[in-house]
Amino acid sequence: MTVDRLSQPYSPRPDQVPVRPPRSLDERVADVQRLQRVARSIADRAQSHAFAQVLAVSSGLSLEGVRLALAHHLELDSPAEDLVRLVQAAGDCERVTVVLSANVFVGAFRAIALARAASRHVIVRPSSRDFAFAHAFVDAAIAAGDLGLSRVDTIDFKCIMHGEVHVYGRDETIRAIRAEVDRGVVVRGHGTGLGVAVISEAADPTRAAKALTDDVVAFDQRGCLSPRIVVCIGDEARAFSFAQALDAELRAAEVRVPRGTVPTEEQALATHYLATMAFAGRVWAGPTHGIGVAPRAMAPLLPPPYRHLHLATCSSDAEAEAALAPFRPVITCVGSDARALAARVAPPWARQANLGKMQRPPLDGPVDRRAPHADAER
Amino acid sequence: MRVEILSEHEALETSAALHARARAHVTAFEHALPPPEPFEALACDIARFQARAVEGYRRLCDARGVNVANLTQWEALPAVPTDAFKVARVSAFAESQTPTVFRTSGTTVGARGQHWFRTVSTYEAAAVAFGRYWLARDLAARRVPVVVLGPSPEEAPDSSLMHMCAAFVAAFGRQASASDRPRSDRATYVIDANGTLDLSTFDSCIAQSLASGEPMLVLGTSFAFVHLVDAVGKDTFALPAGSRVMQTGGYKGRSREVPADVLRGDLARIFDVDRRQIVAEYGMTELSSQFYEQTIFEPDAPEGVFAEPPWARVVPVHPDTLLPVADGDVGIAKVVDLMNVDSAVAVLTQDRVRRVRGRHGDRNHGPNPGGFELLGRAPGAPARGCSIAMDELLGGVGVDQALS
Repeated sequence: MTVDRLSQPYSPRPDQVPVRPPRSLDERVADVQRLQRVARSIADRAQSHAFAQVLAVSSGLSLEGVRLALAHHLELDSPAEDLVRLVQAAGDCERVTVVLSANVFVGAFRAIALARAASRHVIVRPSSRDFAFAHAFVDAAIAAGDLGLSRVDTIDFKCIMHGEVHVYGRDETIRAIRAEVDRGVVVRGHGTGLGVAVISEAADPTRAAKALTDDVVAFDQRGCLSPRIVVCIGDEARAFSFAQALDAELRAAEVRVPRGTVPTEEQALATHYLATMAFAGRVWAGPTHGIGVAPRAMAPLLPPPYRHLHLATCSSDAEAEAALAPFRPVITCVGSDARALAARVAPPWARQANLGKMQRPPLDGPVDRRAPHADAER
Repeated sequence: MRVEILSEHEALETSAALHARARAHVTAFEHALPPPEPFEALACDIARFQARAVEGYRRLCDARGVNVANLTQWEALPAVPTDAFKVARVSAFAESQTPTVFRTSGTTVGARGQHWFRTVSTYEAAAVAFGRYWLARDLAARRVPVVVLGPSPEEAPDSSLMHMCAAFVAAFGRQASASDRPRSDRATYVIDANGTLDLSTFDSCIAQSLASGEPMLVLGTSFAFVHLVDAVGKDTFALPAGSRVMQTGGYKGRSREVPADVLRGDLARIFDVDRRQIVAEYGMTELSSQFYEQTIFEPDAPEGVFAEPPWARVVPVHPDTLLPVADGDVGIAKVVDLMNVDSAVAVLTQDRVRRVRGRHGDRNHGPNPGGFELLGRAPGAPARGCSIAMDELLGGVGVDQALS
């Protein structure tokens, strides 16, 4: 079923699901590779100002932010072994309905690729707030001959009786959908999370700040891998010097890749956060970013996205682990200049990355690898 | 900005003098007299004291580029965000000198906000004066039986709300005795420390008041009232004529959420009282002053519009600039509270408010009074996908006057 804009909610009937023999691993990898070629065509299309502008308006990013995302954060070249891992992680089912979230607009590609690896039949519901990339991508894929893919604007979840629903977004959205679908339907929830950066005592502050800035600027820090908490190993003076370096890098980044539109509510949270940190610790703030440096042993605080970082000072790796403990269940990625340090503080499910690569995970499965738990899968 | 830091002795002396000036505002109000001094004079003096005695406030003033020595307008006071109470000590005094602490409700990740008090006498005087004015000013001649849908102060010693309720009873209330209990100057608390609602005691209290024909005062949080509504179902607990109900606070995930208008209707039905006898109070652990709807005593007062005492002002500010918004626009509530002598005279909340003008301006205490409208907490993440919000991390938090 290929629908541009449905006037009625999508509600499949069981007899609409054809029974076909399972695809081989190679076939499924080929399906994903075809989507990769489609993604490349979309990135090429965004060379045109008009299309890039559409993506900017839809995503809320600046034009430069859109181009950065397409150039560096869309997985166009993946080693075969990554794609095999993606296919193996995807499972196999007769139909997947994908419910996309807003904010990391190129994330639609990975979500659809994962669904396509799992099934011949994929129905995509783009986010109503950020739909331009997903619309363009699905349409281009269909035009390229992928007839197992379709998109809809609304879905009547009560009518879904088969297959899987992959939901990206807030936990309450996942819960709401899970409550509606038939009991036989598997809902794979990809909920919210956050990235954490750990700066070792040996790190060069300027180099680390530069790399971390790349992670922050991508998608204006709105992704579940985006670093929002930074743990700096060392004394307070070292944390201050790192904050200073980070401040300088974020100022420079604003010239290269201006921050996009910040919703009023998020701006209010940012103001509240920065005023709190001005009271409780120290703040380095520019017109479009802010860094709060917490005194030792301060209670945990999470800054809002849109280029805000909370920097905690810890004297040792063990203290860093303890400082991050309250956030552990929602940590999806740990970036560090020191591999061993990342491995020590990262929960087992979290991705580990070098600084500057936190937003560039291999195309080997969902970005968020938290193990499914009772509330995440049925 | 260079600010001379106060010695402990100087801080105590200055604090005592400021408390006396703050209480003079309350006394004047109780005697229907004009304020003893302009609001801004005391507000700016308290801010100067706090900048000299509270290191964090000094830093905040510096960050905002405000020189407290030159302050003359209360609108210009830098406001301490409510989150600061969770992560730092917001107090002019050391822990050993602040025997009372009120805490916001706890969560798994976030720390609890803590508001430390060197003395609670100023807090109590202000709470009682303004509470009596909007809840029971016509009942001054007799002590009102009080039932609190909450745990006793002994069971919730760090709850500012329970402390306030106890202060009400001490000042103008008494126990709404269940028949088998002796009367005392203590409210009847019908929720235990485990959160169990004791409907049987509640029923006995009402029966006793009905028998004596005395109006009652029923105080509680919104979520406690929702539990009552759910427990009572279609039954009623008709209160004696002239009774009134005060409800406060948000839900914090402790019950299903019910729109204010619906809850008011449900309570009016269950208690068999006019809905204008049901008054919402807005308060926070981080403040020493409270705000009330004016429906009991002001025939023209709309529901949902809160009155301020003369010693506190609520200003909607722009979320980015923190400057006051245009008249009638929605902003984040910045509260300047002259009773917060030893902590934060100006507090930045996360609640959205809008000034409402009465026929004679937006100040209250007059015919067709104005005030401010509470529009709920600023939503944390309306346009957020997979990036987690603090609220989500905390499991959802609302307006927080802790019931604990």
